[in-house]
Amino acid sequence: MPSGLRWKLYLAALGLQGSWNPQRMQNLGLLAIMVRWLEGRPRNTERDRLFCRRYYEFFNTNPYLANYLIGGLVRLEEESENEASVSPDLIRTVRDSLGRSLASIGDQLFWQGLRPTVVMATCLLGLYGRSWYVLAVFALFAAGQFMLRWRSLGRGYSLGLDVVDELADPRWHRAIAWTIRCGMVLTGAVAGCYFLLVTRLGGQGDGGLLLAGAAVGMGLPLICRRRPPGEILVLLGLVLAVVLAFALPAARS
Amino acid sequence: MEAWGLLAGTPGWVTLVAVSGLCGLLVLDDTAWGQTWFSQPLPAALLTGLVCGEPLTGLAIGLPLQLVMVGNIPVGQTFLGDSTVAVSAAVAAAALTGHHLDPALVFGDPGLPLLGWLVVGAALLSLGGNFLVQAERRAHVPLMLEGHRTLRDGDLGRINRLHHRALVMTFFRGSLGCLLGVLVLTGVWIPLLGLLPATLHRAAGIVVVLLPGLGVGTMIDRYGLQRSLPWVGAGLVAGGLMAGVLR
Repeated sequence: MPSGLRWKLYLAALGLQGSWNPQRMQNLGLLAIMVRWLEGRPRNTERDRLFCRRYYEFFNTNPYLANYLIGGLVRLEEESENEASVSPDLIRTVRDSLGRSLASIGDQLFWQGLRPTVVMATCLLGLYGRSWYVLAVFALFAAGQFMLRWRSLGRGYSLGLDVVDELADPRWHRAIAWTIRCGMVLTGAVAGCYFLLVTRLGGQGDGGLLLAGAAVGMGLPLICRRRPPGEILVLLGLVLAVVLAFALPAARS
Repeated sequence: MEAWGLLAGTPGWVTLVAVSGLCGLLVLDDTAWGQTWFSQPLPAALLTGLVCGEPLTGLAIGLPLQLVMVGNIPVGQTFLGDSTVAVSAAVAAAALTGHHLDPALVFGDPGLPLLGWLVVGAALLSLGGNFLVQAERRAHVPLMLEGHRTLRDGDLGRINRLHHRALVMTFFRGSLGCLLGVLVLTGVWIPLLGLLPATLHRAAGIVVVLLPGLGVGTMIDRYGLQRSLPWVGAGLVAGGLMAGVLR
């Protein structure tokens, strides 16, 4: 892929979700990316119309892995100009099926695996008061995902239809499993550190009540088996805090 | 109003404009452009704190909110509060009104009602911000529908313009949402703390200490208690030992 086009596609692909809408999700974002490739071609209104129509249908995928698909689609579009075997229907099928596969892998890897892992690691650093390290870890993740996006764009382009084989690699699932395990260990580490700190706070005169409150707070989601959003958890925490405030000695204030 | 007076000073406005710009960029980062996770509550709060010259206040507000929101997964149309705006507004409001907050768990003072009060305020702002997020997403639909004209006339420039318009809309949602949040927190929420009865005052101080537990419990539930027990257990021991050795 020519370097200029790669940069244009790369920068545009960072904003894939910029115009996310509830009806067709990332369709406008995807077309805004693919238009970068089309702009380098001689103008042909009829072909441009059909091209835009092809990419304006419902589309949704994981933004971090989307560049595999975008690179692959650019390659297929180039091939369809010269080869009759690559039909618009084939491109549409590749877009939909690959988009779904990437969404599934990407959501597991990034949202279920990496996000909690990175967040728990930074919270652990935060509990020790290491603000700069927190920002450094997020910067590291940002650099990593920018590199992944750059690499996957080139990889998708060079593989074309064979990008499907890349996704069949069992290493994806191993990576998902290991990031989730890392997240579990770090969650435990945060819990351990948290309880030790609360014990010390409790030692300042509240007896075991604060510690008991913390244990109830941690046990509550496990007992209720509900996963409310964090904002609701804050309000739940406030209710628990009010109960504790009545129970704790007034001297605490 | 003391808070308003502090805000109205020249340095206050300069900081407010800087925070508002930063918040616009962070909101863009959240889902629209880049997704580096600097828009997560903890880094967003730290960055806002740095802009305001109060990084510790950022850590104090960002840490409990980050832990409690770690389970918020932004997939598809699931619930999505506006935590970036809320957390930035809370840090800016504390800094602009001259409050210096220490992270409760790190520096060992759980009895800081203002910290808890601001965290609760940020959670409410985030809940309210959800309506703005949904409104913005619905506002993208007419833009997308306008793009259909390109399917008829082949004007590629229109697609770029519509997409950029959506990005600008997101920036201004973050930027103006942050300004509004700071005004509400400094003008109404912080002064309200002084009117609370003593018990609620105490509860506001305790809530910050409880939130990490709620967040951790939610994550363990998300992983599955049985499946995660050996790993979480190993981490628990390691975390406890680390805390004992390092502190």
